Amino acid sequence: MKKKTFNHLPPIKQLNLTRRHFVKASSALAGAGLLSSYGLPLYAASNVDDMMKMYQSANIDWQSQKGSSIVLSGLEHPWMSSIEPLIPHFKKLTGIDVQVQKQSESEYVAEVPVKLGAGNPTPDVYMVWSYGQAANAGWLESLDQHFDNPNLFDKNWYDLNDIFDSAKSFPIWNDGESYVMSITAEAQTMFANQNMLDAAGVGVPTTFDELLSSGKKLKSGDVSGVAMRSKADGTAGSWPGGGFVFSNGGVIIQDGVCMLDSPEAIEAIHYYGTILKEAGPLGVGNYHWYECLNDYMQEVCAIGMDSSNFAGDIENPEKSNAAGHTTYGAMVSGPGKTAKPNMWHWMSGINSKSQNKAAAFLFLTWANSKPTCLMSSALGLATTRTSAWESEGFKSAFGAQAATAALENLQNADGKIMKDCWFHPQSGEILTPFGIAINEVVTGTKSAEKAMTQATAKINKAIGA
Amino acid sequence: MKQLRKERNRFIFLMLMPATILLVGLTLFPFIVSFILSFSDYSLLRPGQTKFIFLDNYIELMTTDEFWIALRVTLVFTILAVFIQVVLGVTFATLLHNENTNVSLLRTLYLLPLAITPIAATFTFRLMFNPSLGVLNYFMKLLGLEPQAWLASPNTALFSLILVDTWQWTPFILLICLGGLASLPNEPFEAAKVDGASSWQIFTKITIPMLYPFIGLALLFRSIDAFKTFDIIYVLTSGGPGILTRTLNLYAFKHGIEYLSMGYAGSIAIVMLIITIVVAQIFLRKNKLLQPKDTLK
Amino acid sequence: MKVFFRRLALYAFALWSFFPLYWLLNTSFKTSKDALARPPTFIFKPIMKNYIEVIQNNEVWGYFLDSLIVAFGTTLFGLLIGVPAAYVLARFKFRGSADYGFWILSTRMTPPIAMLIPFFIMYLKLGILDTHIGIIIAHVGLNLSIIVWLMRGFYEEIPMEIEEASYVDGSSFFQTFYKIAVPLSMPGISAVGIITFLFSWNEFLFALVLGDSVVRTSPVGLYGFVGYQKIYWGQLSASASLLLIPVLFFVFLFQKPLIKGLTLGSFK
Repeated sequence: MKKKTFNHLPPIKQLNLTRRHFVKASSALAGAGLLSSYGLPLYAASNVDDMMKMYQSANIDWQSQKGSSIVLSGLEHPWMSSIEPLIPHFKKLTGIDVQVQKQSESEYVAEVPVKLGAGNPTPDVYMVWSYGQAANAGWLESLDQHFDNPNLFDKNWYDLNDIFDSAKSFPIWNDGESYVMSITAEAQTMFANQNMLDAAGVGVPTTFDELLSSGKKLKSGDVSGVAMRSKADGTAGSWPGGGFVFSNGGVIIQDGVCMLDSPEAIEAIHYYGTILKEAGPLGVGNYHWYECLNDYMQEVCAIGMDSSNFAGDIENPEKSNAAGHTTYGAMVSGPGKTAKPNMWHWMSGINSKSQNKAAAFLFLTWANSKPTCLMSSALGLATTRTSAWESEGFKSAFGAQAATAALENLQNADGKIMKDCWFHPQSGEILTPFGIAINEVVTGTKSAEKAMTQATAKINKAIGA
Repeated sequence: MKQLRKERNRFIFLMLMPATILLVGLTLFPFIVSFILSFSDYSLLRPGQTKFIFLDNYIELMTTDEFWIALRVTLVFTILAVFIQVVLGVTFATLLHNENTNVSLLRTLYLLPLAITPIAATFTFRLMFNPSLGVLNYFMKLLGLEPQAWLASPNTALFSLILVDTWQWTPFILLICLGGLASLPNEPFEAAKVDGASSWQIFTKITIPMLYPFIGLALLFRSIDAFKTFDIIYVLTSGGPGILTRTLNLYAFKHGIEYLSMGYAGSIAIVMLIITIVVAQIFLRKNKLLQPKDTLK
Repeated sequence: MKVFFRRLALYAFALWSFFPLYWLLNTSFKTSKDALARPPTFIFKPIMKNYIEVIQNNEVWGYFLDSLIVAFGTTLFGLLIGVPAAYVLARFKFRGSADYGFWILSTRMTPPIAMLIPFFIMYLKLGILDTHIGIIIAHVGLNLSIIVWLMRGFYEEIPMEIEEASYVDGSSFFQTFYKIAVPLSMPGISAVGIITFLFSWNEFLFALVLGDSVVRTSPVGLYGFVGYQKIYWGQLSASASLLLIPVLFFVFLFQKPLIKGLTLGSFK
């Protein structure tokens, strides 16, 4: 099997530091906030024994699956990037060999259904991009029985209270069982270039109207005021646009019926389109993550509104000119309404056809455990644990203000209305027409009313409402 | 003579056997599966609950306007792109064939679009087409022209895609024509020059007619492939703006891989296949390309 | 005058072909910030970091090697299987030859989406998933139609007198084929060889679905640089640029018979 080398972490995070390196590295790591609460460099091989203690205090027989081998499959994602360097620890702890397969998102989403649809036993553990799809197709193993197995899981050590409520409720399927575990947490967050705001004399907007008026003031010449995703597919505008709908008192799906033709939804998307048409860059209709993030980082766009995970890149001076003077803000709200940002927990599950389910379960719970989350969050991973979010390592890696804003947005988010849409078994057939409709409004091809009404009719026909 | 007959038939059989075995083995099963599935409501979401719905998929397909829009987009894209590519390919193959300096260098440069890993090229185009940061708009501004939204605008999206496809696939046509030109006999050309014919006359009255079978083949294959274009559209516009660049193949992909309705996607694929077969048959018969002109006894 | 315009057109087309590659090369020497800067920079401080990272990355060497094996195998087997079939279709009339020829063409017509899962299942059951030979077989299958039809076209253009003379001399069909027909068709074989090689080198979908970790060709590998929410431009552009070198080298090797002059005239 080819070993997957990992190239874009700074070299300090390799696991073969000697004692001499340890002493030298400590001071550097201390400065970077990469020391654990024990004051030890997190990855030094010499300290594996100390770290092992954090796990061995659990009442779990870590070595029960020794000698087995599992395949972990995921897309290019901060979670994979943060967990992968820690896998040798897992190997030492459990004796389980882990093969990592990482692909780009488009590749992953196209290839994994083919594999799972053909009943392949691997991957054993995989990142789940569409819970509705995977659960309905029977590609996931129910986890409850494993949670109840005292040999594999120690509730007290795991400390479920430490995990965000939405992260705990997300995996519960409509039959009451959980088939995945949440592994990350992100919320729709605004990021605004403070220098550009100051130059135009505007404050951080808090409502749709303010976003529109500030955006227009910030737009001048080649520089745009606001850029948000609008490409014509289900992965672009649907998520941020959904947040606008929620923050205007609307919902996407209610009791299995699409409600995008409600006045609240239409008004929300009308705002979305207007803001982008009047304050957005040329060609914003084709914008996806890359374009939005790049424009912002190159400072040709003043405000963006997208996932809190963008903070990692925005604050990286090697990539971004906007590093150091970005203000992260709360989701904007519709007139007279409360803000309900969209949010997302990435999830990982176990292949129902896996032949190493216990080993896979050990891996998942290890990855989501307190000690592992402490370490992965020090790399900037937005985990699902409060303790990790509040740790110094995370704050310095992610950015303290960014972390505060993201946390606030996470807490204001309404997991239920999000799940009703995104976890619908036919979520694809809901999100794609929705995304296309948003695109049509942004390019001016259709009015919000026409686009939303037509999309709703199409969606309801497809989901049988 | 009977011996010769037997030997001839054995020769034909042996020469065709490897190709036949390979293609039958490889394509028969998938084709049968797709064909059968297209008459069912098979969805990866409910794998155990598949039932035969006979022509329902096809009826639904024919009655959604999304299908007809996709068909129109595919036809417009295919016809325009292939036409431009054939004109460019034949022209530049001929020009290069008549050139005598730096031919290797030029030929290598012309093959570059086919040699670059497509994903790198496509994302490079995505970057170049970027309205705010890309180099194309930079040049537009330098030349005093209005920067365009390229892939984002309903007016220019399809054109931009045709541009990328042309860049990528003209070398294919060029290569076939170069091969064809290199295997043409010299005499007709020399005779024509002696007779005082102009380049244009030689080109239209000798080159093109003699190259005709190759142009025909290049056109045929390019059309079959262009009809199925996927990568560049998926990466650059995802079928947008709206559904203005959503071709049939993208439409099938959405339903098959994104919505997991493999039965419905199968029916789209079968319809695409039928269209291609019919058009190819008409083309080949009209141009008498189905059978060789003369053969050995 | 005529020559001047011809050269102008030829070099303009060369510029058109080369520009995106120039941009890719440009990007490979830039930091990620520079790569996306506005205005786009033509003059900048180049960095070698991307190339160093890529050259030191064993995985990229793996992609190159896998692509090489697969593309070579595909070209070799494709020609071995396809050229004989093309010859026979060009030279012999037999019942069903038109239908047979069309059937070969039709194997190219089905949209890949319809074939993905069946192919995957077939390969799974046969145990050839994630093997070089498996992908070579798929690539040959996908490309056989063009090999056969193009070579048939080339053969139809070659006059039959020489072959007929050789039969009169008592050669068998097979001897005539490889002693006379094949050499005469070298320009065609070269063109078809290049097309097949390039096609296989750059094929993505089947290499993705039928390969995995053991066999990861360069299109599949390079797609890995297209990350979640960001593109690793440095590595993508550097690897793509480096991968051009072997490709152009092999194409150059195949190109010799395409040179004008090796026409039939010289055989008379």
